[in-house]
Amino acid sequence: MIAIYVCAGIAVYAAIRVILERNTMRKLPFLNVVSFAVTGIIALLLPHPITIAAAAAYFVGSTLESNAIASAWSGGIKK
Amino acid sequence: MLDEPIRILIAALICWLNFMTVDLIFKLPHSGGVSGATAIAREVEKGGGNLNGGYMMGNIVSSPDASAGTLLASCGVYCAGLPGGLFAALLVYIGNRICYDPGYAGTTGCITATFIVYGAVQSGWFAASDFIAGMVIAILTIQGLSSVHASRLIARLWKVRCRFIPEDKP
Repeated sequence: MIAIYVCAGIAVYAAIRVILERNTMRKLPFLNVVSFAVTGIIALLLPHPITIAAAAAYFVGSTLESNAIASAWSGGIKK
Repeated sequence: MLDEPIRILIAALICWLNFMTVDLIFKLPHSGGVSGATAIAREVEKGGGNLNGGYMMGNIVSSPDASAGTLLASCGVYCAGLPGGLFAALLVYIGNRICYDPGYAGTTGCITATFIVYGAVQSGWFAASDFIAGMVIAILTIQGLSSVHASRLIARLWKVRCRFIPEDKP
């Protein structure tokens, strides 16, 4: 089961990059890699049909958070 | 079956080609879908990268695109076979609508990835878990190593795509 270790290693690497990156907007792509890796780990740990919904919910939620952070940082909704 | 590390690397290449092709066809590097994606693109450009490549990186961060579709399709096939992958496509479409995105790239990428992963598993050469790890490696090469080099690579591929479909200028 090397796949899960690959995902976990990449998640830790990307998390360290998030901490080391100083610019908030450039942190977000690394955070996206963490979301991908954690979604993969969820599916690999729990091979059950309902896991698909859990993994998708986690991924969409984290994407929406990144979207909200980036939009708020860039000045929010332009009127 | 080959050894697992080799299978994961080949799966990563297949996933990379799948999501990059679908994203380029659906014009993700053309412009930012939401204001956050445009802001990320500007920061990538300020750091020495390319604006078009930055747009695509921003769009991947801001909404589930074909890369997310490929990952969730792999998870779906791993957990529940072909119906699982197609169910994942529905969830990606709902996720796209939540993130204020038309949802074409994500859903198309998820459906193509479902058939690719299911076909690869049926052929007996791969396991679905290889594609989950492969997709995580594929997104690492775009988002996780160097935003400058990744954005320049995407911009180069975007120029090639515009040469074939010339009405969209890069």
